[in-house]
Amino acid sequence: MSDTAQATAKAPVRSGASGLDRVPPRVLSAAVGIAVLALWELLARTVYAGSYRLSPPTLVVVDFFEYRDLYLRNLWHSTKTAAWGFLWGNLAAIALAGVASIIPVLRRSIGAVALTIFCLPFIAVAPILRLITGPGNGTPITLSALAVFFTTYVAALLGFDTAPGSALDVVRSFGRGRLAAFRRVRLRASVPAMIAGLQIAAPAAFLGAVVGEFTGARSGLGILTVRALGALHTERIWVIALMSTIVATGGYMVIGALGRWLCPWAPALDVGAVPAARQEPGLLNRLAALLAPIIVVFVFWYAFLWVFQIKPFFAKTPLDVWAELFTNADAAETRSSVFGALGTTMWTTSLGYVAGLIGAVVTAVVFVLIPWLERALMPIAVALRSIPIIVTTPVIILFVGRGLLTTTAIVAVMSFFPTLVNCYAAMNRTPEGILDVLRSYDAGSAAHVRNAYLPTAVPALLASARIAVPTSLLGATVAEWLATGDGIGAVMVIAFTRNDYNVLWVSVAVLTLVAVIGYWLVAALELRTLERMAPGTSR
Amino acid sequence: MARRGAPVDVVGVGRTFALGGGEVEALRGLDMHVPAGGFTALIGPSGCGKSTALRLVAGLDAPDEGTIDMDGASPDQMRRGQRIGVAFQDPSLLPWRTVSTNIRLALELVGRRHDTKAVSDLIELVGLQGFEKARPAQLSGGMRQRVAIARSLVTEPDLLLLDEPFGALDALTRQQLNDELQRIWTARGTTTILVTHSIPEAVYVADEVLVMSPRPGRVVAHHGIDFERPRTRELLLTDRFHAEVEAVSASLHRSEGQVVQLDTDPS
Repeated sequence: MSDTAQATAKAPVRSGASGLDRVPPRVLSAAVGIAVLALWELLARTVYAGSYRLSPPTLVVVDFFEYRDLYLRNLWHSTKTAAWGFLWGNLAAIALAGVASIIPVLRRSIGAVALTIFCLPFIAVAPILRLITGPGNGTPITLSALAVFFTTYVAALLGFDTAPGSALDVVRSFGRGRLAAFRRVRLRASVPAMIAGLQIAAPAAFLGAVVGEFTGARSGLGILTVRALGALHTERIWVIALMSTIVATGGYMVIGALGRWLCPWAPALDVGAVPAARQEPGLLNRLAALLAPIIVVFVFWYAFLWVFQIKPFFAKTPLDVWAELFTNADAAETRSSVFGALGTTMWTTSLGYVAGLIGAVVTAVVFVLIPWLERALMPIAVALRSIPIIVTTPVIILFVGRGLLTTTAIVAVMSFFPTLVNCYAAMNRTPEGILDVLRSYDAGSAAHVRNAYLPTAVPALLASARIAVPTSLLGATVAEWLATGDGIGAVMVIAFTRNDYNVLWVSVAVLTLVAVIGYWLVAALELRTLERMAPGTSR
Repeated sequence: MARRGAPVDVVGVGRTFALGGGEVEALRGLDMHVPAGGFTALIGPSGCGKSTALRLVAGLDAPDEGTIDMDGASPDQMRRGQRIGVAFQDPSLLPWRTVSTNIRLALELVGRRHDTKAVSDLIELVGLQGFEKARPAQLSGGMRQRVAIARSLVTEPDLLLLDEPFGALDALTRQQLNDELQRIWTARGTTTILVTHSIPEAVYVADEVLVMSPRPGRVVAHHGIDFERPRTRELLLTDRFHAEVEAVSASLHRSEGQVVQLDTDPS
């Protein structure tokens, strides 16, 4: 069995163990793609015939052409919305990353705001934003901008930080300060990381736009989906999901190609796999690190309410949230409904995440051991990873039905592809020397997996998990809001329809807090692991 | 001390790699013989195929032509029989394991996981007592290399293959480890092949130094080194040591001149 492991990493050309190793990857991928389409058509026409769950691809195409004006009009609308969100969100993120780079004192606070934004349950933020922006396109554009903000901020800051120290020293040796260093060195050095960030921002912007439209809009794919879901118009939901996938993935690919054209020397960078930032030592530093972001977030909260002058009926301050949870007459009732629902959401989300994780790790191991399978399927996995799965939630709702399993299935699908891609990439980076040592004792596949591939993948798994905490909770709440009637998503949609803004704000605040804490717990675990396993790789 | 281990016979070995559309001939007509329990050093210009030769002997790669025989077994059979120990320039330790569990890895792989005495003996032999629980990141380069050597020896292999194990270390540590290596080899008597860039290192530790030509590599000179053992650092200062180093050095320079000859006359 070690022959297969050997073929993975080293490729003496002669060792074509399997005939499939010689087939070009494109041909393999195309063959797999056609096979999947055929199976889909077959299942839809037999097992799922007349069940609303699955439309055969042929009917989906027919439906698209029948209603193409409607589809293309709404697609254009959502794409335009996403483009505006992409522009504003990225501009803000890059500008703030620049500020954080030039004025390091502000770094932690800006980072905290960025993370908090990333952890917001967008689906429930939409109705609150609509109070400010009115019924038009403002809410989807804002959500789209918020959806790209964090990842672009992280990528831009990473780019500014990777500027070569010697070049920075040259600028300093001429007596110039941080601003000059930023303009002349850091900005230029950040281009590859920035493009990697913008690449994942493209599907994220589309996701933000569609999620914004889910809760109400005059046009766009989001509202079209919600109507189709109500009417059980199966083909329409599939058409929309496929169009969203193509546009979002297209944006991802175009920016990727742009990056390879602009800086062909730069290695591919995966923002989803960037290690967590290191903490400064010392109790006082840690206390400041904990308190400063909390204070900043609260200041932002009050500033938000004050700037937009929202009526007190809609606007809730941190104190209002506290009162609703602990001191109001109905506090106990609020607590039991919010925390009970939160428990359900966290349970179904964790279950889904773990299922996706196990699936991804097992698949990555299979890919490492059977190279031709990897060459056939990995390009598909890489393409699917860039899809904003949340946008395709309605398809999953149709297929799985409306129940607790829906949330679990969506979170599992969401976590599967990024984890698989990061995990495989990490396993593939297992040092050649370690593999040689294992081979020199004729170690089998199991020993390779246990002693080399799995441990090497752990840091990448944790980096993926950290990002997955907020995104999984977002996926879960979208599913609950749209379909399942369970969990905190359902509590929020009920509060929204009853104009119970107290419960809506409480839910948003609690969910955001849970996501932030989850993010930090995984980050702490990741740092400890990195210190043990690969010192010097944390940032 | 009774010599043990397998003799190594390499006859007419050639190996060509495909590289970006073209081909690189790493080895052509490589012959070498290492007697059972012998210590042979392989030296040659950069890129002459020394490491390729060692990988072929280790069974990590297969030759395109020629044969490698060890007491009737092929390198692949030796590897599958788990009778080979290897150590490379990069110590290739598992960063998540401690010193003793890194050494134990080799025992686990050959199905002798419970032989704790072998591990503690080796830790003593390479002088790492007190560091059993340390992780690779906490060790110096020289200490990591000791762990790698201990790991390669713990299974009591019939053949020890060392690919520039001390190449990345400073001169002082390197000399220290050469002394250790000699001591270990004297104590264990395993057939050993050492690939190195350093002529004094080769002359100091080996019974025989083989000089290779530039790519495509083959052995162009044999130097038997018959200094009595144990060799000590005083030897480094003697005229006969310098004479031997000079001789190997001259062979190496002659071999580098041969690249022209080989290119114009492919016989």
